[in-house]
Amino acid sequence: MYTLTDISKTYRKGQHRVTALDGLNLSIAAGEWLAIQGRTGSGKTTLLQLLGALDHPSSGVINFDGRDLARLTEADLVDVRASSIGFVFQTFNLIPTLSARENVEVALIPQGLSAAQRRTRVAEALASVGLADRASHLPAELSGGQQQRVGIARALVKAPSVLLADEPTGNLDVDTRDEIMALLEALWRDRGLTLVLVTHDTAIARRAQRVATMDDGHLSVAPGERPQPGHATGGRSQPGQQ
Amino acid sequence: MSSTSDARFFFTYLFRELQRRRRQALLTALGLAAGAGLVLTVTAASAGVQDAQATVLHSLYGVGTDVTVTQAPPPSNPGSLPTAGGQSSSKFVFSPGKSPQHVDQLGETDGLGALPASSVAAIARLPGVKDVAGGITALDTKLTIPALSQLGQNGAPPGGLPQGTTCTVDGVDLAHLGLGPFGSAALSAGRSFRDADANANVAVIDSGYATAGKLTVGSTVTIAHIAFTVVGVVDQPQGAGAADVYLPLARAQALAATPHVPSSVGKVDVIYVVAASGAAVPMVRQEIARLLPGATVTTASSLASDVTGSLASAASLISDLGRWLAGAVLVAAFVIAGLLSAAAVTRRVREIGTLKAFGWRTRRIVAQIMGESAVIGIIGAALGTAVGFAGAALIQALAPGLAATVSSNPGSAPAENVSLNATGEHTSIAQGAQHTVPVHLSAPVSAETIGLAVLLALLGAVIAGSFGAWRAARLRPAQAMASVA
Repeated sequence: MYTLTDISKTYRKGQHRVTALDGLNLSIAAGEWLAIQGRTGSGKTTLLQLLGALDHPSSGVINFDGRDLARLTEADLVDVRASSIGFVFQTFNLIPTLSARENVEVALIPQGLSAAQRRTRVAEALASVGLADRASHLPAELSGGQQQRVGIARALVKAPSVLLADEPTGNLDVDTRDEIMALLEALWRDRGLTLVLVTHDTAIARRAQRVATMDDGHLSVAPGERPQPGHATGGRSQPGQQ
Repeated sequence: MSSTSDARFFFTYLFRELQRRRRQALLTALGLAAGAGLVLTVTAASAGVQDAQATVLHSLYGVGTDVTVTQAPPPSNPGSLPTAGGQSSSKFVFSPGKSPQHVDQLGETDGLGALPASSVAAIARLPGVKDVAGGITALDTKLTIPALSQLGQNGAPPGGLPQGTTCTVDGVDLAHLGLGPFGSAALSAGRSFRDADANANVAVIDSGYATAGKLTVGSTVTIAHIAFTVVGVVDQPQGAGAADVYLPLARAQALAATPHVPSSVGKVDVIYVVAASGAAVPMVRQEIARLLPGATVTTASSLASDVTGSLASAASLISDLGRWLAGAVLVAAFVIAGLLSAAAVTRRVREIGTLKAFGWRTRRIVAQIMGESAVIGIIGAALGTAVGFAGAALIQALAPGLAATVSSNPGSAPAENVSLNATGEHTSIAQGAQHTVPVHLSAPVSAETIGLAVLLALLGAVIAGSFGAWRAARLRPAQAMASVA
């Protein structure tokens, strides 16, 4: 699915250059669940942005299903995001003026589907996260857990191959956290998704097949509690792989 | 395909967003409304001033006249009669004799020079000219010159200078009764002129003059010692162009005498021109000026520079203060709207980043923001139009009556006010004859003015939206996660 080779990302911050990723190598197999951990500012969100085709690396190659995301134009990256990648955010990032149904529909706008197709898929997505009866509610009328469920439905409504989750339980209490993680795990398992999940929570990270730890732009990968997929090429840290 | 559902989503998202920040949207719309409304009001007031200037022109030359042609006379000769009220002058040479002399003479007015009647035909052939008529404006003066024996040592009569009586006389082209001041007159008694009156001693008189002289249809008025039968009485709009007595042009030409043209037969001193359209007026003016290089060609717009009084002050106020104020408010509204739009996008950084993360193209996001601005612009345009109408109505309701003071023959040489001395020579030169026309300032709102106001409000909204759209276009999709670095 992903093969990242010698990826670096530097930012200019005032007069200084900040290195967020420094010669990073990583492979992620299709259908794998990878957790990414690390301190604040260690580069994990930057890595997620590159995996999500939200940004270009400063150098290196990001092979995604045979295409180098580092070389694609912005228009091509938009197409990749629109068709293949779903995002779940810590702060849900729902549009406050739109209902749950309309928030999910947001992800289908670039698809060019008919109104009937949209309605069907939005209803299915909301049903899959257990919110069929909350479709017309505004985000402010939903609990945090329900809002994140809407966020997950929005991410999955276009049937992406990759789900990138940035601290999806970071703003939730423990009970809701477990509920959301159970949902994500079920969706990952049932849909054969490639799940990359950034989290500070070690307990959650351990539920993944592999756990990648970011430290000052460098990456080390360790196995999680869940058995690794037989065809995964990322696996344990390989020589030359961080 | 998805165009209908896309449009539905577009407008749902748009109106919900505007609803969310309705105070800001309303503020922006009000700003645009204030600017557009002021422009509309000032433009309407400006149109009102132009209408007023046209009213002044028409009061002088009659409704429907687009262009008038006059000519200044050559320098005057000594020996003129005194004038009544400084209104105009008739000039001729006289000498006190052994016995009193009773003078009744029709002479030129306020410095108007004679134009050959062939000019009328020549102008009629010019492109853009719809109709032409020549006329004579003259002054009939009745005066008794005292005998030499009645003059004192200082050369003046002991009781003071003799006071004559005058009346204004217009020679009317009977083939074009609708042109010139007579065209504005409404018949109140008797009849108007007929073609058969061309060489008859008949007159139509002003109702005010008739009342003052206790004249009615069938009475006679004496002009240059000739008795004319009154065949009609007319009411005329209050203005400077109203004559006391109207005569057939040919009779007026036969009677009028000037120091330069002993007989006015075949001469006119005013030519009234109607253009084929309003747009043709400048061209007609240019063509006439080329045809008659020495003539003064006057239009409503050129008359504006000759108008003084409160109308001129109002025109100046609207032109100077009004336009600057409207412009300043409009620019301020544009800038504030632009800043508010950019600020709104700044508050939506994560939202826009999220849309981009989900594959929304920048142009779609820009369209969404521009759509929001366009709706604000439409609201601003509607409010601005209402504000503009209210402003125009206020001007009409509250504007004090204005007065326009203008030379009765703009562009002509100044008329001479003369007084009599013992040697019968004129002694002073005074201002030309001026008339004050009361004008009510209106503020007509035309479709073009409304269109301009709407256009400005929409333009302001587009400019404001462009600020926000530019900001949104530059946002990176990674902004969706920016706060969780």
